[in-house]
Amino acid sequence: MKRSATRKLVIGLLAVTLWSTISFAKGDDFNSVVKMIEEFYNVKHEGLPFLAKAAMKAVGVGAKIKGGDAKRFAEAGSIKLATFENQEFKGDFIKFRQVLNDSLTQTWMPLIQTLAAPDHEQCYIFVRENGDKFRVLVVTIEPHDATVVQATVSPKNLALLMKDPEEGAKAITQEATIVDQE
Amino acid sequence: MKLLFHRITRALLISALFVIAATITTHAQDPRIRLAHLDHLATKASETVDVNIDERLIQLAAKLFNDKDEDEAKIKKLVNGLKGIYVKSFEFDDENAYSPADVDSIRSQLKEPAWSRLVNVTSKRDGIVEVYLALNGPDVLGLAVLSAEPKELTIVNIVGPVDLEKLAKLEGNLGIPDLGIQPGKHKTKNEQ
Repeated sequence: MKRSATRKLVIGLLAVTLWSTISFAKGDDFNSVVKMIEEFYNVKHEGLPFLAKAAMKAVGVGAKIKGGDAKRFAEAGSIKLATFENQEFKGDFIKFRQVLNDSLTQTWMPLIQTLAAPDHEQCYIFVRENGDKFRVLVVTIEPHDATVVQATVSPKNLALLMKDPEEGAKAITQEATIVDQE
Repeated sequence: MKLLFHRITRALLISALFVIAATITTHAQDPRIRLAHLDHLATKASETVDVNIDERLIQLAAKLFNDKDEDEAKIKKLVNGLKGIYVKSFEFDDENAYSPADVDSIRSQLKEPAWSRLVNVTSKRDGIVEVYLALNGPDVLGLAVLSAEPKELTIVNIVGPVDLEKLAKLEGNLGIPDLGIQPGKHKTKNEQ
């Protein structure tokens, strides 16, 4: 009797641990990617000031993709952004890509990845289902700057992104980083 | 008792052989080609593009995209039935940046009987453009395009029922580069 209760308790604890691990991995990938970039390149991300965040505006960005007419690409309030400015992103980008893919491909689907060796430029787009919408994670790394953007997009905007992933990634990043200075 | 033990052992062995045979057959008919070994070229390339639209994403698109919306309907129709779209493309500043061995490592995976090369396929591009179909009787299981230009190497692998017309429509979409393939009357090598 005692043994059976102990076994149930252990199984219960294991189930809770497993569930919380999966939830953490799914829910906090944005932060783990930011941390991964910081550790791999020995850099620090910058938080946006509150007022700049509040003034963030993007109009007609989605429309830049061919055939697109969406005024905004991301769903309102869904954008998470981390920026790295004026820092050095030197390192083995093939190794970085491997580390990034290894950590994300369990919970995200890689859509497109571009690399440009001469300038060590990298762009990664990952997608995953989010209810009746999609969540998109865009990581862009340039020699001195980097951005990590996570946003929720509608099926229509994912269709636009799938039609032209490179332009779509630019549009999402631009939408996330445009700050109205007026 | 000994007889029973022998019968069980024999049944287990036969089952194991069936499983192994099925695995080998499935693998032989798998129209997904291996591209990861070309990653070393990324360090020489001025641009490398990797597109991975796997079955999970295609199924999601098919489930969530709306037929009434023009953009969504177009993508849905194109990817319907497909199990994967994979592209690896390298652009180089200089010629001879990739070796014939790199090209052969792709060709060696596209051998008969699993794959048939389409003949009479023309392309607007310079260099070599080879198109292969993975066939199982009359069914198309997949398609592969190998495009080798002096400063560019592109491999497109589509898994699922696909033909040249569908490929032509997919060009410029879903990360598939514009290969300039002219759909028309074509034959496999075996049909010649």
